[in-house]
Amino acid sequence: MGGAANGGGCRHRTKPHMHKARMWRQRKSIETHGWVLMDDHLTRRECLKRSAGAVIASGVAVWGGIRLADDTTGSEIETVAPPPNFFGKIDFPTSNPRISVALGNEDQVGRLVRSAVSGLDPRAGIKRFISQGDVVLIKPNIGFDRPPYLGATTHPDIVRELVRLCFEAGARKVLVTDHPIESPQACFRRSLIHDAAEAEGATLLLPAPSHFATVAMRNRPPDRRRGEAIGHWPILHRPLAEANKVIGVAPIKDHNLCSASMNLKNWYGLLGGRRNQFHQVIHETISDLASMISPTLMIADATRVMMRSGPTGGRLSDVRPGGLLGRPAVIASVDSVACDAWCYERLLGRDPAKLTYLELAHAKIAAQVAGGWKRINEREWRTYDRLAQIAVQRL
Amino acid sequence: MTHFANNKELSTPLATPRRDGWNLTRITNVRVVAQVFFLLLFLSFVILTTFANLDRLPRLRLWVSAFLQIDPLVSIATAVTTHTLYKGLLWSLVVLIPTFFLGRFFCNWVCPFGTVHQFVGRLSRPADPDKAIAANRYRSSQHVKYVLLTALLAAAAFGSLQIGWLDPVCLFYRSVSTALLPAPAMSLPDIFGGPRLYQGSLVIGAIVVALLAMNLVYPRFFCRVVCPLGALLGVLGRFAWWRIVRDPVACDGCNRCTLRCEGACDPHGSVRTAECLVCLNCIEDCPEGALRFGLFPSTEREVIGADIPRRKVVMGALAGVLFFPFARTSGSSTRNFSSQVIRPPGAVEELAFLSRCIQCDQCIRVCPTNVLQPAWFEAGLEGLWSPILNFRMGHCQLHCTACGHVCPTGAIEAISVEGKLGLGEAAAQGPVRIGTAHIDVGRCLPHSKNVACVVCQEVCPTSPKAIYTEPRRGGTGVPVEPREPDASTTELKVPWVDASLCIGCGICEKQCPVVGDRRAIYVTADGETRSMHQADPDRNRGMIATAAGSG
Repeated sequence: MGGAANGGGCRHRTKPHMHKARMWRQRKSIETHGWVLMDDHLTRRECLKRSAGAVIASGVAVWGGIRLADDTTGSEIETVAPPPNFFGKIDFPTSNPRISVALGNEDQVGRLVRSAVSGLDPRAGIKRFISQGDVVLIKPNIGFDRPPYLGATTHPDIVRELVRLCFEAGARKVLVTDHPIESPQACFRRSLIHDAAEAEGATLLLPAPSHFATVAMRNRPPDRRRGEAIGHWPILHRPLAEANKVIGVAPIKDHNLCSASMNLKNWYGLLGGRRNQFHQVIHETISDLASMISPTLMIADATRVMMRSGPTGGRLSDVRPGGLLGRPAVIASVDSVACDAWCYERLLGRDPAKLTYLELAHAKIAAQVAGGWKRINEREWRTYDRLAQIAVQRL
Repeated sequence: MTHFANNKELSTPLATPRRDGWNLTRITNVRVVAQVFFLLLFLSFVILTTFANLDRLPRLRLWVSAFLQIDPLVSIATAVTTHTLYKGLLWSLVVLIPTFFLGRFFCNWVCPFGTVHQFVGRLSRPADPDKAIAANRYRSSQHVKYVLLTALLAAAAFGSLQIGWLDPVCLFYRSVSTALLPAPAMSLPDIFGGPRLYQGSLVIGAIVVALLAMNLVYPRFFCRVVCPLGALLGVLGRFAWWRIVRDPVACDGCNRCTLRCEGACDPHGSVRTAECLVCLNCIEDCPEGALRFGLFPSTEREVIGADIPRRKVVMGALAGVLFFPFARTSGSSTRNFSSQVIRPPGAVEELAFLSRCIQCDQCIRVCPTNVLQPAWFEAGLEGLWSPILNFRMGHCQLHCTACGHVCPTGAIEAISVEGKLGLGEAAAQGPVRIGTAHIDVGRCLPHSKNVACVVCQEVCPTSPKAIYTEPRRGGTGVPVEPREPDASTTELKVPWVDASLCIGCGICEKQCPVVGDRRAIYVTADGETRSMHQADPDRNRGMIATAAGSG
């Protein structure tokens, strides 16, 4: 019966005299009961095993418990700092043009981009903005599932040419992304930006939940009376953290709620979460984004300007090449406020003095410039006109 | 009968086990004293968990959760879901460590639910000792609890904490506070301070009664077959130093040990230590003194470890693994959330909440206004019996944070009144909003019926008030005279909600005179601060821009 197991315990471990005693007990057991009485004591091995087991389990429980003890619930959401000043990373001569307009024909979109960029710096061109080894984020407006000719999204040829320019200037990697309202795949495909960017070797980033992080723009609640909208809010942070240069590429469009969607409104596409609520405070939100994101370079796409029914449009009759200019145009700039004012007046024929978010953005950026930020901010574009800092090229 | 097939004649009748009178030298009497003590202590804690008591005796907060905090299943399962141990849960070591040395002593010495089961089981024990012994034999159905435990822990590994359905302390707490205690309150309102109403209490009560009634056909059915805590302790008691051991030489096979065996652990044969509840009845009942609770007994004649059929445990784990996507796919905790799921102030974001809430319903018990209710399926299957606010029952009292202070797992944070109101140090964060009020202008009396009212504005507790009034104007901008008789001299005011000030306390909804299926002002979960800053849009329920950036 139990003899085998018992013997197994003592064959190797038990000293001879103990073995003898056990044999005697067994013999006595047979005499008394007629069968072998199992040893009622634990084998040493089993005893040690069990002692160690219980003690180790207790130790692990105490150690693990103390290690895991945490009085908080972890409900504090981790936040990240706002993105850095991407314009501050380049050395832009103060005497250079601040706005550069290139006018041409519909089949010259690529050349228009080159001309517009080189208009800002005739000698260095794109190399003024992009250096060897840079990681560049290109942020077009791909907000809607619309084909390019409707003017709701950035022209794919502009993205194509920009990616080329970046690689020519020695960029290591070019990221292209947006956070559209509709399915990113559908929007990226339909706008033809997917094909254009991939053909040139850029990395298309489809927004995924893990790409977002909550940015702490202010560490206090926003004050509506001071025109503030964002405190802590999730934004498409991953590409902004990876890139060291950022280029915004925005189509010029009519916008039902905020009058026009141009360079500044383009950054709205970086917002995550339930951003639709920001439509209640659209001017405050756009100007907050304008003061949070300082791009290296901005390209305004006026190849076809949506004059009405914005921001989605839907009819060819809503679109006009170059807006009031009448010819397809691409505008490169380093001053988003001035560029938006110029586009608003010259392309859409409206009065920039009445555009609330321009006023708010100007005030917020001015406060930062005064605080030592390296950034250009001129609300009245005519100042640049007087200083001959608006370059115009006709192809 | 076969149970007495042994060659020895029984010298004493089986139905009357040997007793030497009632004195505390007998270990089982000590055990009964401990059981009664812990049961009364448990019931006292439940009864004492009221806002008035905790307000008068703040130190009581540290004690009322004691049974939930020493429950090792609560601490281990929440550690699995959250990777942390909240506050008092470290006290579970008080049960856990002795279990490593003594086995499942908790089940028959401490557990209040176990005590009630033992009592009901004792009342229904068959008079025929053969039947009683047969009922206490080990049955293979006892492995079901290990399968259930595996399923619950597998779901927990994904962040879905479901132990509260079956954990004996949670289940008993919930049943006592929402189904059993309201009954005396209903019959003796003067003593108990008026009736407490709980939605779905019939189901909660029916479940506990059904589980207790199971003792009639299967003694200690819950403890032996269902209890996941018992399963956990059975597994953890594997190395126990002290165990029941039988001397086969002294044993004459009379089976008397099985007559009152609580765990159905087969003390007459190979003792199953994982099933043994350490009731020690067998030792007392053995006429030959063949059984003892020995230190380091031989394992030769015992079934060590739990009887866990591997395939069934794998199936259990699979069930738990599948439960998670099945429960979450409805989206009821994320995008498809019900706006009725208004969580108590201090509740953490919904998915974190589901990883912490054990449905003990202690918050529901302590709530002074009865507004906190056990959810049915409003919050999805996972949120069954978790606390939600129902503003037809009550409202969230402005200066009360009692629910967070009794929550044993941090599903509701223990916030201060200043923190709740956004005063003092919390000024930068703003107040805790649990929802936002909306006016149904089609039903509101001044808005649609030309009748003076604005009760909502009067009761609104925020400062400044989130509900303000404007004189009612017609299309021409001229005030329209109310058509109510004798009210022509009073100006008719219509209420509006300033969403940036509303905290969702729901007193407006509670007090609104327009009753029926829905009040003319009602609160939904929109704008709740707990989910404002989630990067995942599905978990970001914010609605109001002015609140959106707060924090």
